[in-house]
Amino acid sequence: MVEKVKVRIDGEVIAATAGQTILEVARANSKYIPALCYMEGLSATGACRLCVVEVSGVARLVPACTTPVAEGQSVVTSTPQIESYRKIALELLFAERNHVCAVCVSSGHCELQALAQEHGVTHVRYPYSCPRLPVDTTHPRYVLDHNRCILCGRCVRTCAEIEGAHVWDVAGRGIGSHLVSELQRPWGEATTCTSCGKCVQACPTGAMAEKGWAVEEMTKHKTVVSRLTSMREGS
Amino acid sequence: MRIQDLAAFAAAREAGLAKLLPSRPRIAVGMGTCGAGNGAEAVYHAFRDEIDTNGLDISLAPVGCFGFCAEEPLVNVWLPGRPLLVLRRVQPNHVGAILDAVAHGGLPPAETVLCKIEEWDHLTGHLKYGAGYPDVPSWDQVPFFHGQVKIVLRNCGLINPDDIEEYIGVGGYQALYKVLIDQNPTAVLEQMKASKLRGRGGAGFLTGNKWEFLAKAAGPEKYLICNADEGDPGAYMNRNEIESDPHSLIEGMVIAGYVTGAPRGIVYVRAEYPLAVLRLEQAIEQARAYGILGDNVLGRGFAFDLDMVEGAGAFVCGEETALIASLEGKAGRPRTRPPFPAQKGLNGKPTNINNVETWYNVAPIVAKGPAWFTETGSPKSSGTKVFSLVGKVRNTGLVEMPLGTPLATFIYDIGEGGTNGRDIKAVQTGGPSGGCIPADMFDTPVDYETLAQLGSIMGSGGMVVMDADNCMVDVARYFIEFTHSESCGKCVPCRVGLDKALRMLNRFTEGTASLDDLGLLDELCRMVRDTSLCALGGSAPNPVLTSLRHFRHEFEDHIVAKRCRAGVCQDLALSPCENSCPLHMNIPRFLQLYNEGRLEDAFLSVVMDNPLPASTGRVCQHPCDDRCRRAGIDEPVNMRDVHRLIADEILLSDKFEPMVARVREQRLEPTGREIAVVGAGPTGLACAYYLALFGHSVVVYDSRPAAGGMLRYALPEYRLPKHVLDREVELIERMGVRFMFNTSVGTDISLNDLARQYDAVFMAIGTWKETWVYLPGTELTGVLPALPFLEAASRKEEVPVGSKVVVIGGGNAAIDSARTARRLGAEVTVVYRRERKDMPAIPEEIEAAEDEGVKVAYLLSPHRIVGDKNGQVRALEAVVTKPGEFDTSGRRRPVPTDEVIRLECDTVILAVGEGVDPDFCRASGLTLNEDGTIMADRYTLETSRERFYAGGDLVTGASNVSNAMGLGKKAAREMDQRLMGQKRFPQLIPAFAYRMEPPETPAEVGRHVPPEAPASERVKSCAEVSLGLTPAAALAETSRCLRCDIRSTER
Amino acid sequence: MDKVKIGTCWLDGCSGCHMSLLDVDESIVTILRKADIVYGPLVDAQEWPEGTDVAIIEGAVSSQDDRELVQTARARSKYLIALGDCAVTGNVPSMRNGIAVRKLLERVYVEGADVSAGIPTDGVPPLLRQAEPLRQTVKVDLHVPGCPPRPNAILMVLSELLEGREPDLGSKLRFG
Repeated sequence: MVEKVKVRIDGEVIAATAGQTILEVARANSKYIPALCYMEGLSATGACRLCVVEVSGVARLVPACTTPVAEGQSVVTSTPQIESYRKIALELLFAERNHVCAVCVSSGHCELQALAQEHGVTHVRYPYSCPRLPVDTTHPRYVLDHNRCILCGRCVRTCAEIEGAHVWDVAGRGIGSHLVSELQRPWGEATTCTSCGKCVQACPTGAMAEKGWAVEEMTKHKTVVSRLTSMREGS
Repeated sequence: MRIQDLAAFAAAREAGLAKLLPSRPRIAVGMGTCGAGNGAEAVYHAFRDEIDTNGLDISLAPVGCFGFCAEEPLVNVWLPGRPLLVLRRVQPNHVGAILDAVAHGGLPPAETVLCKIEEWDHLTGHLKYGAGYPDVPSWDQVPFFHGQVKIVLRNCGLINPDDIEEYIGVGGYQALYKVLIDQNPTAVLEQMKASKLRGRGGAGFLTGNKWEFLAKAAGPEKYLICNADEGDPGAYMNRNEIESDPHSLIEGMVIAGYVTGAPRGIVYVRAEYPLAVLRLEQAIEQARAYGILGDNVLGRGFAFDLDMVEGAGAFVCGEETALIASLEGKAGRPRTRPPFPAQKGLNGKPTNINNVETWYNVAPIVAKGPAWFTETGSPKSSGTKVFSLVGKVRNTGLVEMPLGTPLATFIYDIGEGGTNGRDIKAVQTGGPSGGCIPADMFDTPVDYETLAQLGSIMGSGGMVVMDADNCMVDVARYFIEFTHSESCGKCVPCRVGLDKALRMLNRFTEGTASLDDLGLLDELCRMVRDTSLCALGGSAPNPVLTSLRHFRHEFEDHIVAKRCRAGVCQDLALSPCENSCPLHMNIPRFLQLYNEGRLEDAFLSVVMDNPLPASTGRVCQHPCDDRCRRAGIDEPVNMRDVHRLIADEILLSDKFEPMVARVREQRLEPTGREIAVVGAGPTGLACAYYLALFGHSVVVYDSRPAAGGMLRYALPEYRLPKHVLDREVELIERMGVRFMFNTSVGTDISLNDLARQYDAVFMAIGTWKETWVYLPGTELTGVLPALPFLEAASRKEEVPVGSKVVVIGGGNAAIDSARTARRLGAEVTVVYRRERKDMPAIPEEIEAAEDEGVKVAYLLSPHRIVGDKNGQVRALEAVVTKPGEFDTSGRRRPVPTDEVIRLECDTVILAVGEGVDPDFCRASGLTLNEDGTIMADRYTLETSRERFYAGGDLVTGASNVSNAMGLGKKAAREMDQRLMGQKRFPQLIPAFAYRMEPPETPAEVGRHVPPEAPASERVKSCAEVSLGLTPAAALAETSRCLRCDIRSTER
Repeated sequence: MDKVKIGTCWLDGCSGCHMSLLDVDESIVTILRKADIVYGPLVDAQEWPEGTDVAIIEGAVSSQDDRELVQTARARSKYLIALGDCAVTGNVPSMRNGIAVRKLLERVYVEGADVSAGIPTDGVPPLLRQAEPLRQTVKVDLHVPGCPPRPNAILMVLSELLEGREPDLGSKLRFG
């Protein structure tokens, strides 16, 4: 027996299933909440904090992607404060590494770039870090550019939860966190990698791309992950 | 010995008591990490060797720490029937004397005796040590311990942590036994809830409620976890608790296991605490051996076991979900909640996590009941909390106080104020995630809610005290650097936000930030606080946000003035002495130039920084002394007397004329701008001098007939001979400054006239109004205000001083008046209402006054002046005061007693402080501050009227010569910049080439102090008291400088 | 009515933004009815004139000369626009920022040279440690991102300013 709950999102009363998250319910009802680390078909980790919303009776902002709906809950998805925080989070991501959109294969198809535009981020107010980061070109078909990685962890979860290979993980901590394949082995030498390429499709930016594309040419098939998950659940 | 019944338990208890109160003397050495760090191991071994070698019948045991870190190593000495003596700072060389005292029943060496304990309430048990030692204070009479309530620390420093029997001896495990016999877990749960015990890890969640969640969760697989991953810099209470009393922790957890139905507990302890790890490991083994852990706890058919896991040193693992991830063998990164650990914790099973200290409260609550527990503390925060009081406070250590105790009690009563008597500026509570609370808010009660309102947190209980030497910007930067490096990196706000905040704070400390950065930083920190995934990011911005709230002016100083008043931010200062100097003199430069035998260059260096070097060389309060790093070796360099000598050598010799020409060469081209300076005191003179050097035409107005202001009319001849001042004024005059004496602005010439005639006006008329005290009898003949008295004396006019003079006050004017009256042949007593250390006068001056026979009576508050029928002063009646509570200035408030004393006298000089002339200020039409001084911009010194600037005491209220001159110099710089549209100050200062290498080894000579005329001689005349350094002594003094102005030595 | 005075310059950039500016095609005529271009690559003026109304700056601040020019432009202009990604973010010029200047120059002019290897010093301005967005050096009133910004966006910005309105870029522009 599936328990039904009623929640209010931005004033509209919506019927939902207990256990669903605020983000799932909102998106299923055409209410937009931005997110970068969330991806349909993967577990949610609440890392990018773009999806923070106000929930009545809760003092803190909560991430919509991991907070389950509850009967009588009232959610506000956008306030001037939330918008300003989202804008800051996007600016922080741009300032963290070297996202030079002008020379990116994913330009025009990048979630980070699109969110920045959507939120009116015309410039970044914080000092750029300009770190020196490597580009892993060892894989025959794919490339990993750490300069463009936002550590959303979608590739990590795709590989672990969908492909079952768990090639990727995040090593280090704090600002030194970085993506690693196997135990720091170059991607091309990772023996557990099946070269399925789903991580590349899951990547929201140009950090992971197929080789052979020029600026603005890399488009991704984001539904690969969610389609696989729903097919498996359906079986 | 496995305890399976009451008889066995009672036997263990007897055995334990026999160890604690044996029939022979017992010596116990405090062997916590803190004690060991101060040499406790060596002390213990010295006792061991002596006792073994001499076959003494003395029991020796290690114990934990009694909490007074500043006095480690602590040693307890007990003779049967006598109180337990707590000894402090015991070193191996004390051992023989202590053992002698034990053998003869006497007292150990006095310097080691801290206090005695006649009886001790272990809460679960009570120990009566005995009576005696009438001259030794009881432990709770020692300021550091007074008011402390030891619940958590009830056993610490008194029992041997390695011996379970001693724990049982003081009533340990009895609460557990009772719980197991009663077989009513619900009742215990209700007790815990009724006690309102809140988690001591920082969040303050009700412990009883947390247990209830776990009790209700489906079993059988459930976990109890003790969070012993204490990682806050400066906080070490958990370490000490485990090191000193590990069994209290075990007992609390076993009780919780029974109440919640959890069969297993895990202690997650920092691997960096090797001693705590070792003692806990041993305690767990002993508890297993005694049947307290295992399948059949105390024979009551209940199974519970405990494991210990060492954490790998990630601060974030103090966060419960990260801790669980770490226990599961994953990277220590937090995850979002819900699900909460009570639903899905370790291995996906229901889990309850409590901080070490929380567990220590369990057994006493069970033993004594919740009503007893809620008696202590505040209504919403019951019980006590252990705080680690560290930083710039006299008494440091672990302090257990009832929640709700005001911060002032911690800092001024327990801590006994700042180190070296310095003023305390702020306290940082809650570790790197806490906030800074300014001294004027020290009446704040320390509980969860109040601290949160101030933007800080209770956290683990760290309390870092800061004084004027701490830069709040640097403090904020330090804590952000810590949390930034401890961030797990999972969520964007914490990972990137803290990194950006750190980069921005670095720019503040380097002086490259802009005012816009303040708002940007504030907004960023709010975003990090409000959107981070876990409590690390959520609380990490607190130090910045609270500093921005309470110490915004310090941030602004770093941006606008590019100054760090604390002298911490090295990029903003040449050297600590330069930074502390109100005139920002390049002190190392003139020291080095003189050292190289270049007297003229040294003088030029001095006089370009300070136009009154001979006067300030005599009367400056020399803040540079307090900052000099040489003090770390022996004593500070005597910078003031060296520049006095340099100045005297030129000003009072035939080198004067050539030097005047050389200084004139530094003048910039005439600008054609005309500026009026009102007031020819030190502020006005400094300003006029620099304005003239800038090439402006300057006219100085003063109502008196000569220049110098307070220097001439308030400072006595014996401190500053007027012919010295005359030479300095002459130098300033010959830079082109014109004087209009005997002209009062406001009466002879109006401000509007000045506004019409001049391009800019600088006002510095000082504080010439003596504050009047409302004291019966001030109308009597023979009552004199200090300033007119000093002025009359300086003009060598007849002064109506009798033969017995009382001076009321404690500042420099009071001492100057007293010494002047003494020279006029009077017997003089200075009456001051506080203690000597609170006196604002220069300490050397007070000493000199006393040498000259001036009596100083402290803790006396004038009550009334008694006159005779002719209206002539006969006596002063004063109330004897005693030091009371600390006020917000960090000094003890004088509290009147019933005792009144009478001082016979015929003259009373009032020197209780000077203020601005309120009539002048009001008539000026300028915006005033609350205290009646003229409001001027903190950085530009511009007043509310355009082109009108103000400085010196007129702006700050009564201060001192150097502070006043500093403002005059600053005003000249700012006025010039406004008039000329560029920063021209650097153009004034000539380039000097001199040795830029620090001395290989600093000269091994002590500080040179100038000789003084003998006191018996000097009271007979007004001749100068200080005879100044000889050139040879000054030369030797310059070689003592460590050259902090040199940053790197690239060879 | 006096015409609005516009100055433009490019610092460390590719001139693409200026191309885009010219790409407004015939609309430039409309603009020039209300404004004069008083300084820029296509104008004779040797020095940035005092009393400029709008400064349009392309490129990142990469050298000592860049810094001085943008500071002059700022001091002499009422309103300053950072035009294009280099001026707004540092963009391609900033890709050198992780490398020390000396190493960079050696790599290019010594290791990479076939003939007359050596780091040039005459007639070239010294490079700054990093190529930075304008806002690190001067106050910027409006950021117009894009590589290059679309001509119609530039046209919109200029038209709005000439009408005395603050341009609202909303979500019209993106990086890249």
